[in-house]
Amino acid sequence: MKTVRLRSLQARLALRLAALYVAATAIAVAVLIYQAYETADTLNDRELSLRAADLARYVAVDSTGAVRLELPAELTARYQAADNTDIFAVRRAADAVVAASPPNFGEVAAKWPVGTDDPSYFRLKDFGGEGREYYGLTVVQSSAAGPLSVSVARAADADVLVHSLLREFVLDLGWIIPLLVIATLVVGAVAIRSAFKPVAEVSQMAAAIGPGATSIRLPETNLPSEITPLVSAVNRALDRLEQGFHLQRRFTANAAHELRTPLAIVTAALDVVEGNGEITKIKTDVARMNRLVDQLLRVARLDAVALDVSDAVDLDDVASEIVAAMAPWSLARKKSIALHANTEPVVVKGNRYAIGDALRNLVENAVAHAPPSSEVTVSTSANGTVSVADRGPGIAAEQRKHIFERFWRGTGKEGSGAGLGLAIVIEIMKAHQGSISIDDNPGGGIIFTLRFGHLISQQKKKSPAGAAGPSE
Amino acid sequence: MRLLIVEDEARIAELVQGALARAGFAVDSVALCADARAALTVTSYDAAIVDLGLPDGDGLSLLAELRANGNLTPVLVLTARDAVEDRVRGLDTGADDYLVKPFAIEELIARTKALLRRPGGALGVTLKAGNISFDTIERDVSIGDASLVLPRRESAILEHLMRRLGCVVPKPVFEEKLYGLNDEHGSNTIPVHVHHLRRKLLDAGATAEIHTVRGVGYILTESST
Repeated sequence: MKTVRLRSLQARLALRLAALYVAATAIAVAVLIYQAYETADTLNDRELSLRAADLARYVAVDSTGAVRLELPAELTARYQAADNTDIFAVRRAADAVVAASPPNFGEVAAKWPVGTDDPSYFRLKDFGGEGREYYGLTVVQSSAAGPLSVSVARAADADVLVHSLLREFVLDLGWIIPLLVIATLVVGAVAIRSAFKPVAEVSQMAAAIGPGATSIRLPETNLPSEITPLVSAVNRALDRLEQGFHLQRRFTANAAHELRTPLAIVTAALDVVEGNGEITKIKTDVARMNRLVDQLLRVARLDAVALDVSDAVDLDDVASEIVAAMAPWSLARKKSIALHANTEPVVVKGNRYAIGDALRNLVENAVAHAPPSSEVTVSTSANGTVSVADRGPGIAAEQRKHIFERFWRGTGKEGSGAGLGLAIVIEIMKAHQGSISIDDNPGGGIIFTLRFGHLISQQKKKSPAGAAGPSE
Repeated sequence: MRLLIVEDEARIAELVQGALARAGFAVDSVALCADARAALTVTSYDAAIVDLGLPDGDGLSLLAELRANGNLTPVLVLTARDAVEDRVRGLDTGADDYLVKPFAIEELIARTKALLRRPGGALGVTLKAGNISFDTIERDVSIGDASLVLPRRESAILEHLMRRLGCVVPKPVFEEKLYGLNDEHGSNTIPVHVHHLRRKLLDAGATAEIHTVRGVGYILTESST
């Protein structure tokens, strides 16, 4: 591809304005230079005429009646300068040369017709030793010796006046032009950028829109009127998308709900079938399906219904309940489970059952990944956190950002999880304005920590003495 | 032992009935609140399994009615997951236990047995776990055919563990049941008793084992065969 298409409206505008401005400036400068040359030519002609008149003024008739040119020393010196830049010839008649400098110009001029009152211009090529080009005029001037034909010329390459004019122009004015161009371009770029600032802000807001935040709408005020129709169209599209999401969530919830009864029947029916190897496998599959349906329902409910997180929840109570509930399941897998409760109750604002769900999911994961006869530890701490630590293989750094995505499953061994557990945990933590973090367990394994935003005074339940005051 | 199932989903009722029958229970099954009410007045059941969502009423109100009439039949409530959070307080008042659908039949049987193992329950007189058997009246403990003599507190601990076989018994429950309020021995002696009890069971070749769930309590599980 030869041309790169510019995608940015800002860059396109800036580039076009800059091109336009540079072209306009170039034309203006060209016109200026042309004008300068014009003026210089006019001035040159005037100067040559004046010099012709000057020369005629110094022509005198002496006592013998001879016509002679008596130039002041200053002018003589100038005309006789070695390089013969300025030359002249004064003639009384066509071939009656009164004076010439250099003398051979007199010989050349002698072949010309006499001048008239109107100056006649001439161009002299390859004149003199160096073969320079001369430009001059012949005009009739009255003098003490009557009308004289005066030819004055100047070497074309010594057009001092034009050069000095141009030099002056460049020195006095010319340097400003590039500066002006740059300044205008900068001002233009800044102006364009600031005009697009509201658009950039709207873009940032739009970037925050996702499946979890479909209620955001872009502000239509303070925007360039050209952009407003686009933004309002996007907002209307978002309305329709949000409706679609709602339908989708309701559908998921309904589907999961409806699936439960037939699944319960299949589960119950399988339990009474005499087991051979195949039946055991099918039982495992059905158990997995049960779990998936259950989790789908939970996700759909978390999406659809705002969680009531206004209760005071004792994290120790919840942790103790979950550890007790999970212990038989965990022991059946030859893994022990323990609780390290904080000495004082840790009370946070939240939803007891949701927090229990989150913790159960973490414990399920930990037990599933822990090696046999290792211990999974649930701990609570006074700063409003509860964590689950295992001695499993850990989670590689590059996988950590994925594990909270729905239906994401590790690349490791074939597990029975649907990949919804951690997504549920993170939804629950969002509803609690809390956070979840993953850390390496010193000595191997992983620690998941749930951190709750709203810690209630710890002095509520057990011994009031010695408890730290509310933090955060 | 006679059980009542109140469940309107015919297939589930049939399967649960079949499984419980195989586990040695006599089972009646009804689909409506009205039928359940009638059955409970006519027959004395050892336990009832009640689904909450019934065509002609709510299982919870049936339960409340039952309790108001002084009927103390142990009740295991079956409920959908999304109802648990809203109704668990209600369950606490009337039901003895609850199970979330979908459930495994083994779990249902285990929970039902746990209800029956309660003091006064149909299985509450002679407790069994693996090859351990505990006569709660004579306070005789035997492992297989051999009898095992246990000190008072160890025997009390074993009784609680056996009544809640397969479930964690929180340490505060032992503290509450084993010691009076003013007993100065305190809770620190419980781990010692459990330690001795565990050792004795092991030495006697018991096929049930006491596990410690650190920070929470103890659990008795039957060794997998």
